[in-house]
Amino acid sequence: MDLVDLIAEKRFLGQEFLTWLWFKSDERGGTVYLPGTGDITLVFEKHMLLESGEGESHEKIVCQGLQSQLQEARTGLSMGKKLEQTRIHMELGEYEYHLTLKGSLFEFRSVKPPKTMEGSDESDDPAAVEGRILDRIGLLETATRTIDELFRLFLKIRISPEWRDEVTKIRAWINRAGAGQAV
Amino acid sequence: MGLLSSSTSFVRYSVEGTPAPNFWEFAAERISSFAFRDIDDSYEERSIGWVSILNMFDAEFAYASFAAGDHIVLTMRIDERKVAPKVLKKFCLKEEERIKKERQIPKLNKSQKLEIKENIQLMLLKKAVPTPATYDLCWNLSNGTLLFFSTSQKAQEQLEDFFKKTFELNLVLQIPYLTAEHLLDDQERHKLAEITPDILV
Repeated sequence: MDLVDLIAEKRFLGQEFLTWLWFKSDERGGTVYLPGTGDITLVFEKHMLLESGEGESHEKIVCQGLQSQLQEARTGLSMGKKLEQTRIHMELGEYEYHLTLKGSLFEFRSVKPPKTMEGSDESDDPAAVEGRILDRIGLLETATRTIDELFRLFLKIRISPEWRDEVTKIRAWINRAGAGQAV
Repeated sequence: MGLLSSSTSFVRYSVEGTPAPNFWEFAAERISSFAFRDIDDSYEERSIGWVSILNMFDAEFAYASFAAGDHIVLTMRIDERKVAPKVLKKFCLKEEERIKKERQIPKLNKSQKLEIKENIQLMLLKKAVPTPATYDLCWNLSNGTLLFFSTSQKAQEQLEDFFKKTFELNLVLQIPYLTAEHLLDDQERHKLAEITPDILV
């Protein structure tokens, strides 16, 4: 299958991952337990894009609201939409990231990595330049590796019989949100 | 919005194919062969090539090497002369009017108009100043992944072509399904291939 067909046919995978991740984070008040790493803070914030359907029946909604309950987005979920794009605040130990993740293509947008001592050395000395570049690469690769580990966690459940139980929990979470109750 | 910007956007690629033996030597030679060439003082329409991520005027990597640990970091620079469609239309009409008056004819045929358009386009392109665009990349040689700092589909297509020309290796955009294949074992990949969209309400 070529890439264009694969993107269209498997579009749901990244969207279901983001929707699941939102549920996972919300379930534990903004933290997700990542085996091997421990608890990481994941707050869904500011900007969300949800979509459903294909072709002529394609619909999308954009919701904004800094750290709000994102009630409209939750209502969108209850109408069968899935999360296509979201802004996430992620804390890994002392490091804080802000990034926007696009589900269908796994695009990382407007990524703000933490500021570090190494990264603040502005000198033109080749060793300092290389240090600055490696520091930035390390920070970005830490973010992508963490998202990959979260994705792996999702995939293991998604392809297992446990997924049915997980869907039941997600449905209950969405229905509570749809009914306008505090989640 | 590149590798070193305070806020940046990127997509991930997997680098597929077998790297040449003595890879660093091969890479240095190829990056030099495909380094950016300036077209400010020529009439060339487009130029694409590699420059340093610290300085878009450095195609010899004097300010920073393209090597950083196990990574190759580069900027793909594309300079292009462009003519705005409205400007082209205006000068074509002006030239058509001039010729009609000169030859005292009421109108021009299709082939005459086409010839005028080609000549005007060439004349305007020569006058146009090349517009630069730069896109950073960071290639992790130890795990064969690459970050490309643009979410523009056109820029991504240009990268895929130019990367292949330079390094003789293919880039595959890591959409979630392909990322998933790298994260799972054989048995799990079979299960992944079978799943279909679920209804979550």
